[in-house]
Amino acid sequence: MTHDPERPTDRVTRRKFLLASGTVGAAGLAGCTGGGGSDVTDGGSDGSDGSSDGSDGSADGSDGSSSDGSDSSSGDGSASSGMRTSLLTAEGSSTVYPISNTGASYWVSNAPPSDGEYWGSNEESTVPGWEDLGEPDMKIADYFASLYGFEPTDQRSKPPFVVNVGLSHSGTGCKAVVDELVDIGNSSGPITAELDWSEEKASEEVVDHVVGRDGQPVVVSKQIYDSGVDTLTGEQIRGIYQGDITNWSEVGGPDKEIFVVGRAEGSGTDTSFRLNMLGDAEAEMDVDTRKGQNQQVRTVIGQNDNAIGYMALAFTNDSVVPIAIDFDGTVYKPDKDAEYTIFDSEYPLNRDLHMYTKISEDTPEGTDMREAAFINMFLTTFGQNVFVEGVNYIPLPTKDIEAEKAKLPDQA
Amino acid sequence: MTDKPTSVAGLQATVGRRVGRARRFVEETDPEGVAVVGLVLGSILLGFVGFLLTAGWTAVPLAVALLASTYGWFRQQGLLARALTFGMTTVTVVTLGLIVVFIFVESIPAFRYESLTVFGVSVPGLRMVTQTRWDAVTDPVRFSLLPMIHGTVLVTLIATAVAGPLGVAAALFISEIAPPTVRELVKPAVEILAGIPSIVYGFIGFTIVNPWAGDAFALNGGATYLFVGAMVGLMALPTVVSVAEDALTSVPDSMKNGSLALGATDWQSMTSITVPAAFSGVSAAVLLGVGRAIGETMAATVMLRNVPRIGEPLYNVFYGYETLTSVIASDYGSANGIHEHALFAAGVILFITVMVLSLGSQYIQVRMDRKLGGGN
Repeated sequence: MTHDPERPTDRVTRRKFLLASGTVGAAGLAGCTGGGGSDVTDGGSDGSDGSSDGSDGSADGSDGSSSDGSDSSSGDGSASSGMRTSLLTAEGSSTVYPISNTGASYWVSNAPPSDGEYWGSNEESTVPGWEDLGEPDMKIADYFASLYGFEPTDQRSKPPFVVNVGLSHSGTGCKAVVDELVDIGNSSGPITAELDWSEEKASEEVVDHVVGRDGQPVVVSKQIYDSGVDTLTGEQIRGIYQGDITNWSEVGGPDKEIFVVGRAEGSGTDTSFRLNMLGDAEAEMDVDTRKGQNQQVRTVIGQNDNAIGYMALAFTNDSVVPIAIDFDGTVYKPDKDAEYTIFDSEYPLNRDLHMYTKISEDTPEGTDMREAAFINMFLTTFGQNVFVEGVNYIPLPTKDIEAEKAKLPDQA
Repeated sequence: MTDKPTSVAGLQATVGRRVGRARRFVEETDPEGVAVVGLVLGSILLGFVGFLLTAGWTAVPLAVALLASTYGWFRQQGLLARALTFGMTTVTVVTLGLIVVFIFVESIPAFRYESLTVFGVSVPGLRMVTQTRWDAVTDPVRFSLLPMIHGTVLVTLIATAVAGPLGVAAALFISEIAPPTVRELVKPAVEILAGIPSIVYGFIGFTIVNPWAGDAFALNGGATYLFVGAMVGLMALPTVVSVAEDALTSVPDSMKNGSLALGATDWQSMTSITVPAAFSGVSAAVLLGVGRAIGETMAATVMLRNVPRIGEPLYNVFYGYETLTSVIASDYGSANGIHEHALFAAGVILFITVMVLSLGSQYIQVRMDRKLGGGN
């Protein structure tokens, strides 16, 4: 009975509250979408850029033209102030990681030209390819960023924008760049194979930047190498990986079972091995174990005295020895000075190392200025020498470098 | 119509509390309290919706909720605490439910891909258990889960064989036989053992046990279900010891004393009084250990071969191919399309298995409680 008089007021307040909270929510929404333009997810970072721009020219704010603001401003004289200098992110294959990550480390340090070891030249040393760059009097990231219109910071450890490289897998990297989680997707296999895409879809969605080559040497345990197995024919390797050859004595080695190490099913390394060695990306394989990462393959082959495997060149060592392969009479040796070597681009197990960038509405060409500035660094004599050859990969021939540079936007 | 009674009851309850408070608070605080609680719950709900939509404005309602609850904490603490705990519990339960739904939905394409027509009826997922081929690349692409189920069963059986007897025996020693000083030292030591991350066991297995097993048993590669199972058993051991010891200790002294007073020896009291009385707790301990063994990922992934295959004969534990958890851990990075969905299907099987196990242990516990309770 005493409850009754109170109930109506309670109801009223509840309804009032709902109305009020609804308005607050709507106001919050309106405020957010108004400030951030059309893109909701990028609202935070864009909003802060917009507010700083607002002081320069209020035109930006009043008509709210969110359509390719960065592109139109880069065409003007005041290019650098309107450019995105947010964090450049990359992710993907552990095979491309050494190149990408070394590049990012150099970039972030923004070493001065007097450094000599990492950038530029002094009495003691000069970085390779320094003359080809025209010996610029700028810090490393400042120089490469300024080619694409970024303002140099002229401060050590403070590049015009920061680059961050994550480590995962080829497929993950491709997916991340397609979903726009990262700017650059590193992959050791073509995206068509990684995501099961057609060539057309790939050329519509992403731009493929090849930054280097990876030779996939076939490696064996040290004991096998020492007992005289230093060359296998393509046919023998096919036999081993398809289960027809199961004992080392069948290929001139000791009487030992063969422990066949493969790579994670469907990974970039696995796909390109099937394609290049077994003749078909979907060829049947019969392996004893599959490991996901180069480091794991190295450990497993080192632990066993009867193993064979294949992995990125950068990971071979004393206990995991690359062998020569005889393809139809041509012997490719794991030796830089031989006539035919596994560093040649003709070596059938070589594969391109990709950095994919996403074609979006903002960047119809597929590569924005930050991505271009970073990727361009690898497409120089300096970059090929330090970041590709320096981590035991194969540098691109000159004509390939020119073809890759043509995919980047024009330099400022 | 269905809504009305509950909201009326809720209102009545609110009003009832309000009346109690009215003696201590001035009248105008009542609408304020309702407003604060409503604002907090409403904005948490809105924030949750924003979170699900991954919208940029999610922070706004959450900030409102934070502000409102800070304000309410000083003005309407009791009321607000009830509302907050209710809201948080709801969010947790809903999140849990969404995860389960997500796993199931993601696995549907794989089950559909592996359907088999029996007597004119297409049964989704049947082909996963009628043949043993798992190959994500080569035609015919098949995702049989039998090799992984076989591996999981073997590893779990071996792990139980290691952790069960050892764990129960250790628990019995600690609770019944050991002198107090030893008990005080050993019990915490065993519990610390439970804190060692599984990758450490896996690393030891990969770098020490596998190469040794390869040499000692002349195996091609060192991966065996036997030693993976032993490793996982060791990992589950602290859980078994700790829970079983708690169960044994909680048997009332009066029961043991009664047995001793009747002239039974310590061992006779243990086997005929203590262990049967604590049986539900001890079996729950073993089942918890089994649950850990089934779900163990890292040790299995790094030690096994990661090639889904069934060894011949079935009981040969010197093969070590793949388990349900290790296939997810080893393939997730390079899987896409049906392959990825098939990994979710493996997750569904795991989920169901662990759920059945946990329901089973609860059932045993309830049954034993009833039986023992009636006996007393």
